[in-house]
Amino acid sequence: MASLSEEVLLVVKKVRQRKQDGTLYLMAERVAWGPEGKDRFTVSHLYADIRCQKISPDGKAKIQLQLVLHTGESTTFHFANESSALKDRDATKELLQQLLPKFKKKANKELEEKNRMLQEDPVLFQLYKDLVVSQVISAEEFWANRLGGINNTDPAVVNNKQEVGISGAFLADIRPQTDGCNGLRYNLTADIIESIFRTYPAVKQKYSENVPHNLTEKEFWTRFFQSHYFHRDRINTGTQDIFSECAKQDEKGLKSLVIQGVKNPLVDLLSLEDKTLDEGYGICTTLPSTSNANKTVKESSNSAIIKRFNHHSAMVLAAGSRKGVFTSLLTASSSETSSTDGNSRDSDFFQPPVKKVKLQEAIEYEDLQRENRPKTVALNLKKSDRYAHGPVPLQSQHYTTSQDIINSVNYIRHEMMNYKPNLTEVLSSTAASSAIAALSPGGVLMQAGAQQAINQMVPTEVQGELKHLYVAAGELLRHFWSCFPVNTPFLEEKVMKMKSNLERFQVTKLCPFQEKIQRQYLSTNLTGHLEEMLQTAYSKFHIWQTRRMMRKT
Amino acid sequence: MKLNIEGLLVYFPYDYIYPEQYSYMLELKRTLDAKGHGVLEMPSGTGKTISLLSLIVAYQRVSSAFPLDVTKLIYCSRTVPEIEKVVEELRKLMEFYAKETGERNNFLALALSSRKNLCIHPEVSSLRFGKEVDGKCHSLTASYIRAQRHVNPNQPVCRFYEEFDAVGRQVPLPAGIYNLDDLKDFGRRKGWCPYYLARYAILHANIVVYSYHYLLDPKIADLVSKELAKKSVVVFDEAHNIDNVCIDSMSVNITRRTLDRCQNNVDTLQNTIQKIKETDAAKLREEYRRLVEGLKEANVARETDIYLSNPVLPDEILKEAVPGTIRTAEHFVGFLRRFLEYLKSRLRVHHVVQESAPQFLKDIFDKVCIDRKPLRFCAERLQSLLRTLEIADIADFSAVTLISNFATLVSTYSQGFTIIIEPFEDRTPTIANPVLHFSCMDPSIAIKPVFQRFQSVIITSGTLSPLDIYPRILDFRPVTMASFTMTLNTFNVCLCLVALSSKFETREDFAVIRNYGNLLLEMSAVVPDGIVAFFTSYVYMENIVASWYEQGILENIQRNKLIFIETQDAAETSMALEKYQEACENGRGAILLSVARGKVSEGIDFVHHFGRAVIMFGVPYVYTQSRILKARLEYLRDQFQIRENDFLTFDAMRHAAQCVGRAIRGKTDYGLMIFADKRYARADKRGKLPRWIQEHINDGSLNLTVDETVQLSKHFLRQMAQPFRQEDQLGLSLLTLEQLESEEMLQKITQIAHQT
Repeated sequence: MASLSEEVLLVVKKVRQRKQDGTLYLMAERVAWGPEGKDRFTVSHLYADIRCQKISPDGKAKIQLQLVLHTGESTTFHFANESSALKDRDATKELLQQLLPKFKKKANKELEEKNRMLQEDPVLFQLYKDLVVSQVISAEEFWANRLGGINNTDPAVVNNKQEVGISGAFLADIRPQTDGCNGLRYNLTADIIESIFRTYPAVKQKYSENVPHNLTEKEFWTRFFQSHYFHRDRINTGTQDIFSECAKQDEKGLKSLVIQGVKNPLVDLLSLEDKTLDEGYGICTTLPSTSNANKTVKESSNSAIIKRFNHHSAMVLAAGSRKGVFTSLLTASSSETSSTDGNSRDSDFFQPPVKKVKLQEAIEYEDLQRENRPKTVALNLKKSDRYAHGPVPLQSQHYTTSQDIINSVNYIRHEMMNYKPNLTEVLSSTAASSAIAALSPGGVLMQAGAQQAINQMVPTEVQGELKHLYVAAGELLRHFWSCFPVNTPFLEEKVMKMKSNLERFQVTKLCPFQEKIQRQYLSTNLTGHLEEMLQTAYSKFHIWQTRRMMRKT
Repeated sequence: MKLNIEGLLVYFPYDYIYPEQYSYMLELKRTLDAKGHGVLEMPSGTGKTISLLSLIVAYQRVSSAFPLDVTKLIYCSRTVPEIEKVVEELRKLMEFYAKETGERNNFLALALSSRKNLCIHPEVSSLRFGKEVDGKCHSLTASYIRAQRHVNPNQPVCRFYEEFDAVGRQVPLPAGIYNLDDLKDFGRRKGWCPYYLARYAILHANIVVYSYHYLLDPKIADLVSKELAKKSVVVFDEAHNIDNVCIDSMSVNITRRTLDRCQNNVDTLQNTIQKIKETDAAKLREEYRRLVEGLKEANVARETDIYLSNPVLPDEILKEAVPGTIRTAEHFVGFLRRFLEYLKSRLRVHHVVQESAPQFLKDIFDKVCIDRKPLRFCAERLQSLLRTLEIADIADFSAVTLISNFATLVSTYSQGFTIIIEPFEDRTPTIANPVLHFSCMDPSIAIKPVFQRFQSVIITSGTLSPLDIYPRILDFRPVTMASFTMTLNTFNVCLCLVALSSKFETREDFAVIRNYGNLLLEMSAVVPDGIVAFFTSYVYMENIVASWYEQGILENIQRNKLIFIETQDAAETSMALEKYQEACENGRGAILLSVARGKVSEGIDFVHHFGRAVIMFGVPYVYTQSRILKARLEYLRDQFQIRENDFLTFDAMRHAAQCVGRAIRGKTDYGLMIFADKRYARADKRGKLPRWIQEHINDGSLNLTVDETVQLSKHFLRQMAQPFRQEDQLGLSLLTLEQLESEEMLQKITQIAHQT
């Protein structure tokens, strides 16, 4: 057998494929089929390559199972054992059903990623079409150095989208609308729900606890908007409110944050005062009997609002930098552990660095010191108004550096100073008029200015095609040049392949294009640069090859 | 650079200097030369501290050559971070000296703070509150506790203090600059108590940096600062609130709860005396003997016994013996009981009573036959008793200490104090909560010893306008009074006076509140990073926040920035502050709603992007309905001829200036200052703002509408966002040594100082 070490999960005999009898093997990572009496597999598919399996309807005479691959190909197996055909097929099906999903995830991920990249990047898609679909290079080669990140399975690389923070006003965005009959309607979008969950983890927890077993999603949100938790200024009415627990949890979180204290000693109001007056001294002592009891209802609701805003802002801020919070928690806990094993003095040792830095920052007068930082180029604004009032429509200009202008002005001035009309040697009038004609638009000498006319001279579809050709050629050349210096056998092989790829490209893509533009009587010059690039690559290849030969001989 | 300031060589640890710094040093030198006191106002962020330190250190160094010598600098600041900042600046200066002169000078400078910030005892330092730390420390280091240890070796003591006491006093602290953390490090290395080390070392240090209270609160000053050399220069930095500090340290409030606790204290005293009488009667006899001899031992007592504290001990008391009526312990306790009963009866009033100290004394004599003389000795007698009874935890006896301090004060001063007894709070007239306020109205009483004792006292701050009012309320005669402005090549302050009103009568008006909200909303869309808004009082802020919430204004603001709000809980506010800074730091931007006269407005700086705009909603007048304030205003009028309105406006303006000045902390900083009240435009208000703010007020920025303000700020912020370049500043607001020495510049500099 081909590979001995593979674990065989199921063997089904008398399975026909392409009218040939044989045996089907289901192994740990692939499904394989070998014809009767032969020692090798003629069909072998990795599970990861299989998109799905199909089976023939029960009533049908032929009992078949079809494997459809991601590439679109399919293989059909016909179970031919008369007595147990159906049983065999079902056993195979069951096992495949268990196996496929395991591999599917991995395959799908890669596939999805490829798909996503192609969708997000139209240029890449075009390139894919030009090179892979037209079979200049194989799909594997194409993806080989594009998907480096995928296999690392580093989510940061794969998912390199920047995390979006949460709007501070997401609750304000849920404008309630009256529905006409004494009710309110809140419009929730998935974004808002996500914002709520990210900002208030307690609500998320409640959600996963209660939805959908106890409440429907709608009920959940209805209750949320009715709750005291949402309207902090309302007075807590009932204790059955499922969110009252959230409020408590928040309170706890807030308290723990408060107890944790602040890291920056300069904003720590508690340790600001050096020596407080003893109790009983001083003019404005806080009135001692102000207990919660004689606080008016309004006052307590006011302070609840204030608390809520502080909490909300803190949570939004934290949600925006979840990672940061996490690491800071980690460091906090690590410093805590170290301060518990030593005595409390250790906490002092952690403090000074932050404190020192902050103090140094606070006493720094950077403008009093001689500058020693690297010189930066400042924006030199001639008209600061234009900077301040935003962009004005840009006129197309030919940009010359100021040095150029100065030079040319000097030059012209110099010329003019030394200009002496030599009336005996002027041109004849016919020669002059022909020169003028040649220099007028459409004249002989003005054809060099066709550069800008190219978009008028060449039809747009040709332009598009040319663009694609450039992109494709660029991609191939990139592959080609990336092989140098050729110092491994693998690279050697690759460079050879790339050379042939380039040649194939020239034959299958470039030449037809050239012919096409010739047929349309366009200047063949259009592809000159492309050819030049290819020639450079070829010559490089030849040099490398001859050198290699010399070395070998 | 090295400067020549009227013949004095001053090392200045920077390559450039602001013209106003030079001018400041000039005035400072003249003050020191004249051996007088000075009032100097210079905006924050112009390097006031380093100018001050540079000049005084230079002065000290040459003091041997000069006939007018200065041996010590006592630098008083307000908050712990400020203190630490000063020491760090000093360190920078000293490093510069070492670099330039190539020799290590034997300068000793150190910061002193409370035990809470200096203790290294593992158990004691883990306590959270300063009072607990003090109490615990005392229970380990008091002299009789340590004496007991000789008898009973299991008695716990503080090994750091023992070590310090055994060795630390003989070896002087090596020269150098010691910040709080440095002291702790040093203490740990040596095994000495940093707190007592620092307290001991300040006697021979060249520079001492500590908090106001160590000089102004007689209870502490008596302990810590008593022996500081006369030839010292005292600097009060951030001194705009100094009168309140003085008053606070001399005022006493007595509630029913105080009296109840006092009753318990007295009972405990009684029991302890009874017990001692049975076991150790000799001790009490010994005390009696000492009291006959007089109070000389007040000086002999150990520094650790904070019993010594006495609000004010006039000299004559020290020379006299304790009167016979309270000499024995039982008699004294009986005396205390009578006094207590009298106070209780006074608190049983149903209407507000206000009387002067002599009236009170007359009444007490009539009712319970207590004479003035024993009352004056009350505080001293109690300390002696507590010491004799060997009571460990003095924190428990704070109530009786308070009462006896009150007794001494009320009988010592016939003027400058008033007694107000209120049966209930004004807001809750149904709930009986009687309070006896014994309030000091004359800040000069507490600060008088400082002016008398020390050669030069400098009062300096960013906001001291109008300058002449401080000498009047503190009752001293300055030789220099000057206000310096900030020289700038571009205006980095944009000042807007918005024509909104928050008069007390109209400020609950719906429209006013909405207009304020709109202003804040508009600004939140225009200003980058941080905005700080100040309200006139906490209650007012709560109400406004509530109605903004109802009107949906806050929600709209949240679209632009996160909102953080100061609360009455300091820990919570600290957290909000930190989050606020975080939000400014990560670019989201935030708004901090805060209160004038609150902790944030007094102690937190909003440098650079932490405060691109400050909005002052309303004029932060003090709550004028308070009887204490009314009494004080009356006193000011009668004694110092300061009109009520002048003082109130002055007080409001200094707080407004403080709030607004929080955002500008240097020349590279910029920010908007918005006074949202049309009353600021009036001449009497404008005139009381510091000069550096007044200069930015032009007619174009007066009485603006919200829209105009937005336009103005947009323009300003865009301009200011351009890079700050040193070249533009040089020669105008930033000088090299050569530029400084040019004749023309010296001419200009003389104009910076605005003499009054």
